[in-house]
Order: sequence, then structure tokens, then C-alpha cells
Amino acid sequence: MNNRLRVLRAERRWSQAELAERLGVSRQTINAIETGKYDPSLPLAFALARTFELKIEDVFWPDAATAALSPSSGPVRETDEGPGMDRL
Amino acid sequence: MTSTEFTVRDSRNHRTFSLWMIATMILFAAATILIDGKWIPPAAGWALTAVTGVLLVVTIHSYMYFLRHADELLRKVHLEALALAFGAGVVVMMVYRLCERLGAPQLDINDPLLVMCLTWIGGQVIGSRRYAAGEGDE
Repeated sequence: MNNRLRVLRAERRWSQAELAERLGVSRQTINAIETGKYDPSLPLAFALARTFELKIEDVFWPDAATAALSPSSGPVRETDEGPGMDRL
Repeated sequence: MTSTEFTVRDSRNHRTFSLWMIATMILFAAATILIDGKWIPPAAGWALTAVTGVLLVVTIHSYMYFLRHADELLRKVHLEALALAFGAGVVVMMVYRLCERLGAPQLDINDPLLVMCLTWIGGQVIGSRRYAAGEGDE
């Protein structure tokens, strides 16, 4: 799963610790999500999106491995280039 | 936050678990010495054994409480460490059973337990490093 957490956080000038505090998680968790080492649970992903006042798909989008799990009948979003590709 | 890995809640719950674990280990060591040395009557030995068992259950309960309320990444690290410890225990026990049949000295029941404890601790270290914040992170 890809995300633009680091960019969103930088826009708001929040440190990892600050964001972690807001969400009640550890700084390591925020760092691991930002660096792609860890995919958050659905509740945490929603909480993150809510914190940035965005929709979840504006924060997270599937990478190639996740996209391979998508049903072939549905619309396939492009994966590694950022959110909003389904609008193209 | 008290550290990069633990939230305040995690630190508190982990401290509670650690204190119960230390208390249990001290009681276990004391009970072993007292029973082995025959310094207490058998009835007291049984009572001490029962108390040790109760403390162990409380310790495990406090660990499960810590896990259930832990930060999700921390929980993942601990669950992976537990899986590794369980796997190591199974491997040691099964493989050594065969080794015993081939003439190796008989295994003490505490040996696989020690392997499991050490692997559990090692697994936590490995897991923490895997997800650790890199240099230059805030």
C-alpha cells in the first residue's frame, strides 16, 4: 500500500511524534507506515484520513502487489503514481 | 510518548506485566530453593507452589491485557515474536526427541522453555529493528 502521509504531515508542519500523539499510536508506527514497512489496520487508516480531513483514498492507494488482488471485473486504478488516478 | 515504540499506555501496561513477571520469578526461585532444601514442611511447599501458579496466571493475564491494548505495530512485533518462540520450542522438542533416541543426553523440561523464552526476547528485538525508525526521521 502506498501513501502520502509524509507529504500531508509536512504540509501541516506536524512531527511524527505529534501525529502519533493525535492518533494514540507510537511514533514508530507512523514512521513504519510512512516508509512503507507497515500497512495500517483499516481503523487506523480511516483515523489517519480523518485527521487530515481527507478521504481514505486520498491518503492511501494500492501498490502493484495490492492491485493484483483487485477483482478483474472492477475498474483497475493505476497504482504507484499517487491517488486520484481513477479520475483519469 | 515515552519512546518511539511505546505509547504512554503501552509503557504503563508493559511495566505492570514486567513487575508481575519479576515477582513470579522471585517467588519461583524462592520456592525452588525452599522445597529443594527441605526448609519448609510439605504443606507449605504445596501452598507456595499454588501461589506461584496463581502468580503465573496473573502474569500471563497482564501480558494479554498489554497485547490487547498495545499499539498495533507493537502488537504485531510481539505476536511475531510469540510465533517464533512457539516454533523454536516445537522444533527443539521434536528434533531433540529423535536425538535422544540416537543417544543424546535426555532433555530437561526446562530446556525447551528456556529456548522459547530466549527466542521470544530475540524475536522482539528482531521485530523492533525491522520496523525501527531510520536515521533522519523525526
